[in-house]
Order: sequence, then structure tokens, then C-alpha cells
Amino acid sequence: MSNRHQYAFFLGCIAPNRYPGIEAASIKTSANVGIDLLPLKGASCCPAPGAFGSIDLNVWYAMAARNVVLAEQMKMDIALICNGCYKSIWEVNHKLKHNDELRDGVNEVLKEIDMEFKGTVDVWHLAELYYDPKIVGIEKLADSVTRPLTGTKVAVHYGCHLMKPGKERHFGDTENPMWIEELVAALGAEPVQYRNKMQCCGAGGGVRGYDLAHALDITNEKMINLQEVGADALTEVCPFCQLQYDRGQIEIEEKFGVSWGLPILHYNELLGLAQGMSPDELALDLHAIDVEPFLKKIL
Amino acid sequence: MAVKKDYKDQKLAEKLRDRKYYIPDSNPGFIKEVEKIGQTPAHMCYQCGTCTGSCPSAPRSSYRIRLFMRKAVLGLEEEVLTDPDLWLCTTCYSCTDRCPRDLAPTDTIMAMRNLAFKRDIVPRNFLKTAQLIYQTGHGVPNNDANRAARLKLGLEADPETTHKHPEYLPGIRRILDHYKLKENADRILAEGE
Repeated sequence: MSNRHQYAFFLGCIAPNRYPGIEAASIKTSANVGIDLLPLKGASCCPAPGAFGSIDLNVWYAMAARNVVLAEQMKMDIALICNGCYKSIWEVNHKLKHNDELRDGVNEVLKEIDMEFKGTVDVWHLAELYYDPKIVGIEKLADSVTRPLTGTKVAVHYGCHLMKPGKERHFGDTENPMWIEELVAALGAEPVQYRNKMQCCGAGGGVRGYDLAHALDITNEKMINLQEVGADALTEVCPFCQLQYDRGQIEIEEKFGVSWGLPILHYNELLGLAQGMSPDELALDLHAIDVEPFLKKIL
Repeated sequence: MAVKKDYKDQKLAEKLRDRKYYIPDSNPGFIKEVEKIGQTPAHMCYQCGTCTGSCPSAPRSSYRIRLFMRKAVLGLEEEVLTDPDLWLCTTCYSCTDRCPRDLAPTDTIMAMRNLAFKRDIVPRNFLKTAQLIYQTGHGVPNNDANRAARLKLGLEADPETTHKHPEYLPGIRRILDHYKLKENADRILAEGE
């Protein structure tokens, strides 16, 4: 037990409430590589950085801080599985730790509900914990694979809010990063490169709700670039991007009359498949785009 | 000896002596407000256009981040806050990553959106998300089909969030009420009916 790592598992909204397979997969796959994800009771929406940050940044700070305080009370670092959540929870935690004025303002509000932000925990995306050799590392990850995804070409969508703005984060190059490709290669799949890899999914900043056709047009550009290189699936580390790419393809078909049929899999779903989890255990039937063509190549 | 440059027309000279672009309804204080909320010195922008060139929204709309940066500096508050394009930024931070002046145009946009909201200028979808969080703690709440799917996976019907622990909701509502977010969202949505 001693070399196991424990984290408070921050779920967010889209994973538990739209793609519960991601939640189930995250818990199981992490346990297989020595990470225990414990429930963070009473957590709320992160809250959505685009929706909330756009209308009142003070509400965004306070709401995100409340989620961090729940983990402080557990005396545990937070692990999460969504880039949007990462922006809210990691960034607010970081800002409050380094900006006394901001922290005092937030604590004044939190005092009304008997809470105080102390700045005692850190926030991690599960993907970076997998990549970190001190926690898991590529080798251990590859060792956990029982069903290699050999013969599949998998493209990576990094999303925006995990690594950008690069100046404030710790992930290095944000123009052409390769570390998630390494995570994909560890599962036996062939990571493929494509044009404009770092382009946004189109959904963020409230744009999906504000102007769906505009958001979908950005998504569609990604689909064109992915088809060029013959990807069998797109993997990401953000359920909101997943929603945009997965359900978005149906909406693209309705609005633009183009059909792509590209399976979209969160990295934890992909890892689940590689660790031998069945499509049922991952609730892949909830995906709008049929994952079957991808499954045929590996099952 | 240097001669102070001036114009014969005294009125024009007075206008142009003002180092800010002069139009009657420009607000020189606007950029200060924007910088305070956005926490980035937007007036340092030298208009190179790297931001617009990096922007996924630019090729498919009239949204131009460089234009917004300039208008903010010029204090064109009314024009900026009432422009529907203000809400087409996906907050992807590509412009921020590439800005040679190390500015954060994305955060400048966010600041201007915050100021627009203070004047009740805001797309409905943002307010609806706020209402959902007030009611459930989630921007995207659970539903019955998803509960059934969760049970099949061996998960509990409701996740360990405010869904399973609604006793945490009053605290969340207290925070939102502190900023009158729900009140304002309800009011603005009702006025739009």
C-alpha cells in the first residue's frame, strides 16, 4: 500500500452526468497503476471557466475555491479528468496561493459558509500524473496493458485549458507537444500527427451555447484535418471537448450535411480498453458516434 | 530649440493635445477598468495582429481580437460592450500564448465580458448555466437516462457531488447570492421574455 498515491477525485459535470464511462474507467484504470481516487463529497461544477468567468470572475474564484477547500479538509491533493475543470480548479488554486488580495476577497465570502482557503493542496490532471515517472510513468502504464491497441492510428487532441496559457503552466511547449502521444504509444496504438493539432474544439468560452454553428465550424475543420491522416479515433483528456467532437459530429451532419463517423475516446476510456475493460464497462454505447469500427480493430 | 507642434485652429489643437484618441464618447478610464479585471496591461499592445492570426474564430466571423484590443485602449466602451462579436472568443488562449508583448488578450476579452454583464449585456446561455448551478450545483446536471447508465456501470445513480449530497447546496447558493448572480440572471432573462 505504501507506494500507492491517493487523491481527492474532482468529477466535474460532463463526465459523471453525460459520459459516466469516463468516471468508471478513471477509477479502475488509475487503481491498476497505483492511484486511488477518493470521492470529493459535495463538490460542484468547477464552475465552467467560460460560462462563469465571462460574467463574473469573482463568482468563478469563490466557487472554485470552495471546491479546493473541500479537498483541503480531506488533506488531499485533487486529481481531475477535464481541461475545463483544470483551468478553474488549478488556476484559482494557483492564483489564490500567490495573490493575497484575491485570497482575502475570496475568504471574506467563504467565511459566510464557514470555510477558509488555506492553500494547502495541489491540483493535478490525471493525464499528467500518468506521465510523471514519480507517480506512474510511461513504463508502469505500459506494464498495465493487457490488450495492446496494436494496429490502430490514434490522434490526440490536447485541448486548450490544460496547457495554455503556457507562461502560467508547467507543461513546456504548447505549439507541438508530444507527451500525450507518448501516453497513447504506451498502449500499443500508433499516435498520428495532423494539421493544426493544437486548435480548439470550438466549444469553449460559452461559444457552443452562444453560436452553435460557429462552434461546429471550428470542430469541422478538425474533422477535415483528422481525415487527411486516416485516424481511427481521436483521444482527448477533456469530456467537454469529447462532447463537442462526439455529439458535435451529429450536429455537423444535421447542419452541414457532412458525416465523419470518427470515434472519440477520452484517454481514460482508451486506457480502459487497453487494460482489458469491456465496452459495456465503459458505457461506450452512450457515445453519439459508434465506437464499433475502432473496437473491431482491437477486440 | 524644439518648437511645440500646434494647429492654427485652437479647438482642434486642444482636442489633439489630448494624447488619447478623441471622440466625444470615448472613455479614457475604460482601459484601466479592463486592465484591473483582466490583470494584464492591455495598453502595451502594439497591434501586430499575431492574436487575430492565431484565432480560431477569426476565419469564420467578423470577430477580430486585435480590433477589440485597440478599441479598449481607445476607450470605445459603448462600441465594445455592445458588439455581439465579443462573445465569439472560445478562450483557447492561442493569442495569449503567442503574444510577443506577453499580454493576455483572452483575459482582456473576459474582462470586457464582465463589464458587459454589469450592464445586463449577456447572451442567454450564460445566464441559464448560472441558474442550473444554483438549482443543482452542476452546469450540466444528471438526468434519468444517465442515472440508469451509471447503475449499469456499478456506479451510484448520483455522483458524489452536490447531486448525492444536496446538503452542500445552501453553501453554494450563499456564494452565488453574495454576488447577486441568481437574482440578476433571473431578472435579465425575465426582461428578455
